[in-house]
Amino acid sequence: MNVLKWYAKAMLTNRSIWSWGVGFMLFWLVIGAFVESQGQDLSGSGTVVYTASWFVVIVLFSLSMFAVAVANSLTYGSAALSYSFRFSNLTPRSFFGSVVGGSALVGTVLSFVMLGSTVAVFGAKFDTRFTPANLPALVGTSVGAGVFYMACSMTLMLVVINYLGLKSASFAGFLPLLLSYTFGLGQIYVQLPAWLVYGSPYNDIASLLYQGFTGHPAAIQLAGSGAEVLAWPYLAAGLVVWTLLLSTSAAWLLGRVRVRQIEEGRQI
Amino acid sequence: MLRVERLSVQFAETKSPALRGVDLTLQNEKMVVVGANGSGKTTLLRAILGFVRAQSGRVSVFGEEVPSIRGMAGVTTNLPEVYRLISLPVRDLVALYARIKGAAETELLERLHEFELDETLGRKSYQLSTGQQKMLGNLFSVCFAPKLVLLDEPFDNVDFTRRRRFVRLLRELPAEILLNTHELDLLPQFIGWRLAFMFDGQLFGPFGVEDLDRLYLSRGRVPGAVSVLETSLGEFSITLDGGDRPIKSATSMSSLVEALA
Repeated sequence: MNVLKWYAKAMLTNRSIWSWGVGFMLFWLVIGAFVESQGQDLSGSGTVVYTASWFVVIVLFSLSMFAVAVANSLTYGSAALSYSFRFSNLTPRSFFGSVVGGSALVGTVLSFVMLGSTVAVFGAKFDTRFTPANLPALVGTSVGAGVFYMACSMTLMLVVINYLGLKSASFAGFLPLLLSYTFGLGQIYVQLPAWLVYGSPYNDIASLLYQGFTGHPAAIQLAGSGAEVLAWPYLAAGLVVWTLLLSTSAAWLLGRVRVRQIEEGRQI
Repeated sequence: MLRVERLSVQFAETKSPALRGVDLTLQNEKMVVVGANGSGKTTLLRAILGFVRAQSGRVSVFGEEVPSIRGMAGVTTNLPEVYRLISLPVRDLVALYARIKGAAETELLERLHEFELDETLGRKSYQLSTGQQKMLGNLFSVCFAPKLVLLDEPFDNVDFTRRRRFVRLLRELPAEILLNTHELDLLPQFIGWRLAFMFDGQLFGPFGVEDLDRLYLSRGRVPGAVSVLETSLGEFSITLDGGDRPIKSATSMSSLVEALA
C-alpha cells in the first residue's frame, strides 16, 4: 500500500514549491550572474568555479523551500495521519516510503531545473556554454538531497507536533532554510574546518554537486584559492549517514504522531 | 462493537473536564447523542478515534484498545480533518481514500453524483462551501463498507433536501452508527435508534428515540428517576411519563436545565 502517486502529484503541483523554490531562485541567479559578478576576478577557470558555486548554493536554497512545504503539510495533516494509520490500510512505513519516493523525485526535478537555469543565465552573462561534467553524480546527489531535506524537515516537525506544540512550528519549518543559508554561504566565503564541512549534510550536498558540475573536487572554501580539496567518498558517506539517521527518526516519530489542532500554531 | 468505559478527558488549558466518566456500549445498533455546543460530544468522538489522551478509562473498538489499533479500515468518521492527508482535489482524494480503505472508488463517486456534488470533484476541499465540506465528510464516512460510523453534527450547514436524503441513507446503512447532534427536533427521524444526552461532559442514557415523548426533566433528585444530572446549577432528574418539563419541548438539554434552575 503506498500513496506515492498522490504525494508526488501534490508536491510537483505545489505552488509554494514552484514560486519560492524555483521562481525566487531564478531571481537570485540573475543577481549572481549580473550583479554579484561585477568586480570579481573571473579569469581562467574562475567563471566555472563562480558559476558552480552559485549553482550549489541555489540548489540548497531551492530544496530548503521544499523542506518548508513538507513541514507545513505535516502540521495540517496530523489528524489525517493518525486516523489513517489506525483506521485504514496505510502504515507509517508505507506512508514514509511514499514520501521518500516523492522527495527523491522532487529533489531531482528541482536540482535539474536549477541546473538548466544556472547554465542558461550564467551562460548568457559569460557568453559560455557550461556543460555539467558528471550527470550521474548530479542525479545521485539530487536524489539523496531530496530525501535528506524531507527527512530533516519531517523529523523536526514531528518533534514539534508530538512533543513541543505547534507554537514552535514556524521555527522548526524554517530551520532547514536557515541552516542551508548558513552552511551554503559559509562554504563559499569562510574557511570552515574540514570536520565541519564533512560533517555537515548541507556542505556534503553542495560539495558533491560542485564536483558533479565541474568534474573537480570542491575546495573547503569555494571562493578561496589554494584551499584543501574534499574527498567525495567521505562527503557521500556523510550525506548517507545523516539521511539514514534522520529517516529512521522520522519514521519512528511518524508512527507516534499526535493530533494537533492547526489553530494551536497561530502566533497572534 | 464500540465500548467506552469510565472515560475521562481533561484538557490542560481548561478547569473542568471535557468528559467525566463516560460509559457507552454500541453493539449492532445506532445511537444519537444529543447535547449543546461544548457539552463534550465532539471530544467523545475524538477520544474514540484516539485523537485526545484520556486521563482515565478505556475505549475499545471491535475488541481492540484504541491507542494500539492499526489497519481497522471499517471505522469511519465525517470529521473533516481526517481527509487532509495530502492537499489534493476531491477527485484525487476519493481515489486516495478508496485505496487506503481497500475499497473501490465507484460507490463514493456515485454518492457524490446522487447528492449533486459532482462539481466539487475538480476542487480542493478548502475551495468548497461549508455545507459542501460537511456533506463530503458525511459521504466519505458512509462509503468504503464501514462497520462503525462516527458522525459529528452531520446536518450542520446542510440544506433540507440533502439532509433528508442523508437521513434515509443512514437509516438503511448496515453499520453501527454514533451520531452527535445538538438538534433535539431532528430526533423523530431516528425512530428505532438509541438515544443519549450529553451534558457537562457526562453521558445520560441510553433511552430509545421512540421514548422521547415519555421523557421529562425535573429539578432535584426524584425517586425512581432513570438518570440524574449533576450540574453546576444543581441536580436534575430524567423521569419517565411525568415531571417538571417534557424534554422534547426544549431546543437543547442545557436550555431546559437553565429554565428549570
